[in-house]
Amino acid sequence: MPTTNLAESNFLVPNATFFVELFAFALVLLVLARYVIPPINKALTERQEGIRRQFEELEAAKADAEAAENQYRSQLVEARHEAARIREEAREQGAQIVVEMREQAQAEASRITAAASAQMDAERQQVLAQLKSEVGTLATDLAGRIVGESLEDEARKRRTVDRFIAELDGHSVEVEQSGTSMRQR
Amino acid sequence: MIGDSLLAEAEIEIGEHKTFTFLNMTFNADTIWSTVIAGLVVIGLGFWMRSKVSSTNPSKIQLMWEALVDWVTVQVESNLGRVHPFVVPLAIALFVFILVANWFELIPSQHLLPSPTADVNLTYALALLVIVGVHIFSVRERGLKGYVKHYFQPHPAMFPLNLIEELVKPITLALRLFGNIFAGGIMLAIIGLLPIWALWFPNVIWKLFDMFIGLIQAFIFALLTIVYFGMASAGHSAAGDEHERAADPQPELSEAH
Repeated sequence: MPTTNLAESNFLVPNATFFVELFAFALVLLVLARYVIPPINKALTERQEGIRRQFEELEAAKADAEAAENQYRSQLVEARHEAARIREEAREQGAQIVVEMREQAQAEASRITAAASAQMDAERQQVLAQLKSEVGTLATDLAGRIVGESLEDEARKRRTVDRFIAELDGHSVEVEQSGTSMRQR
Repeated sequence: MIGDSLLAEAEIEIGEHKTFTFLNMTFNADTIWSTVIAGLVVIGLGFWMRSKVSSTNPSKIQLMWEALVDWVTVQVESNLGRVHPFVVPLAIALFVFILVANWFELIPSQHLLPSPTADVNLTYALALLVIVGVHIFSVRERGLKGYVKHYFQPHPAMFPLNLIEELVKPITLALRLFGNIFAGGIMLAIIGLLPIWALWFPNVIWKLFDMFIGLIQAFIFALLTIVYFGMASAGHSAAGDEHERAADPQPELSEAH
């Protein structure tokens, strides 16, 4: 048991220990303030700075991504417009080609038709002329053989042939008229 | 004293210290050496952290220090409106030192290592340091005229109350800490009187609770220190309240950021 006298037994009254404690704590405070707290603060601010920087980088990356996406979208829209424009152009061109082809075909058709009818006219004329020259001879020959008399008489012959031709002509005119009306139809 | 015979019977020592005399002054040897050990522990923790401090890969001890520094800095900012280069280290040192000293109570050292905070010498010393700092800070903040004037606000008739309040601050600060830790020690001593088979359960419960008390008391001491400094810069009179309100947006802004 340590020795204690009555005057010092009141534990609420300080003694000289007070000064030692004051000095001891002041020393602790000094050491902490000078050697311990500054590195902590430094590390704290550095880490906060690092985090802030990371956030900034994140923001920048996000902005970049957004910009790229916007660019991509605008390009996509542009490409769609381009495609639509090309399609429209193609359709117009197609329609034009069809029209041209149709016109060309019609022209060709009418040309062919005209040529054909001209050729037919020419052939008919030719046949008619041939007939004219041959039918008379043939007919008088045949008729001479049948009637037994010579139709060599130039005047009679001519008369007969002419009459025949006239008849034939009248007939062929009727035929021709009906033929043209049919063609026109 | 009435309790003396009772205590002697129970073999409980209350407020008794191993003392020595030097230059005709009495010193409490046990308080001094446990203070030295507590101080070494605090400084050791600090230098341990310092030796492996890293801004990218902090160790656990560093994270503990950082949490403390961060909390104190935020408190100082919101009470003083700015980070004061003296108040922050003071509050940190107070918290760590008191916490370590309080937890000495839990070590079953047979009075070889008593908690130094269970001795008024330490708590008075801490309170004196704080309150002297507060008054110096107050004079610097408000000027000598403003400092004297604040004792007479809001009305000159309030002077005695203001004076008593200022005087009571360090005493309550010191005695609150002392009383809590001292009582914790007494509780342990009383529990120690129980028979050995019944001892362990209340002992464990009380030590856990005492640990909590030690933490809370260290916390309160540090927080009240900051609050007193905050009051010294703005005052707690009507005018001071307006000052406080005017200064309020600043910490809020910094916190929002």
